[in-house]
Amino acid sequence: MSTGEVEKQERNARGIPKAPFISNVDEYLGADPDAESALKDLQAVLAKYRYMDGNLTTRRRSLEEKIPDIKKTLTMVEFLQERREGKSKAGEDGDDLDDEDDLGDEVSKKPLKTTFELNDTLYAEAELEDTDTVFLWLGANVMLSYKIPAAISLLRSKLSAADASLQNVISDLEFLREQITVMEVNIARVYNWDVKTRREKREAAEASSGKKEIQA
Amino acid sequence: MRMLAQEDENDDGAEVNWEDQQRINSFSKLNARLKALEERITGLKQEKEALDDLSTELELADEDQLVMYRVGEAFLHIPHPRALKRLERDQAELDKDLATLVASSEDIEKEMKELKVTLYSKFGRAINLDE
Repeated sequence: MSTGEVEKQERNARGIPKAPFISNVDEYLGADPDAESALKDLQAVLAKYRYMDGNLTTRRRSLEEKIPDIKKTLTMVEFLQERREGKSKAGEDGDDLDDEDDLGDEVSKKPLKTTFELNDTLYAEAELEDTDTVFLWLGANVMLSYKIPAAISLLRSKLSAADASLQNVISDLEFLREQITVMEVNIARVYNWDVKTRREKREAAEASSGKKEIQA
Repeated sequence: MRMLAQEDENDDGAEVNWEDQQRINSFSKLNARLKALEERITGLKQEKEALDDLSTELELADEDQLVMYRVGEAFLHIPHPRALKRLERDQAELDKDLATLVASSEDIEKEMKELKVTLYSKFGRAINLDE
């Protein structure tokens, strides 16, 4: 397979080349069949697909860990936002809190008590003062303070970006798995073809030598 | 689809052509998707059970007491009625997620069934698509 061919090959949305399907081994190997080197080539391509598969699987796992984390943070920030809104609305708009008007007021005076995990299996209590600011962990030991609405929109965009790239990774993985199957089938076909031709050659040789023996 | 498979039968029965290969590929792809979906569905079902338990638990709880309700990774001490409201909302959200997952897994199962019919009709015993 020359490089020109590789460039012409079909690719999926993120540039992973499609595996060629060998429907006729005789045709594929051409006039001067060399099954061994063909097998070696096919196996090299298969190894590349497997390598990509491994990389993407790792990425998938890390995204699958990251997404619930973002979701958890988002629900917490959204809760804080609702609490603030609930308080400012409690007076005029009983829509959301109709049966808890009195409670709503009571709550607003007190800071919110929480129990949080300080370390594995160790919990501590913390009181949350009314706040319009949260700190988001941005990684690399950096935390940045955000107003709650800004934090929500940031987290939402992060979440949808992570979701989208997870979908991409999953579809790439599906694509790769198909290519791997195609390559495995190709290898099996060339291999079987090789076994068959060798046997035919041997049989032919035996037949001719057998004839000679009889003649002699 | 079935017409084509029957025509294929005329030439060598075990011969796998490109169309068959693509069918086999999509079958295996759908199978993997279904597995992943089933995993998520069992996860959500467990969560749903936990929320259902919580709802019976909250019914029994003293209404004047604060409830420790889990949001994200921390527990919030919130009044009983508020906890109920949150629980209702969480349950509704979970039910919605669960319904979408179940619907898409049913779609996949249907597609797989069609592929099975086509592939079995061509390859018969030479292929095994069941566990």
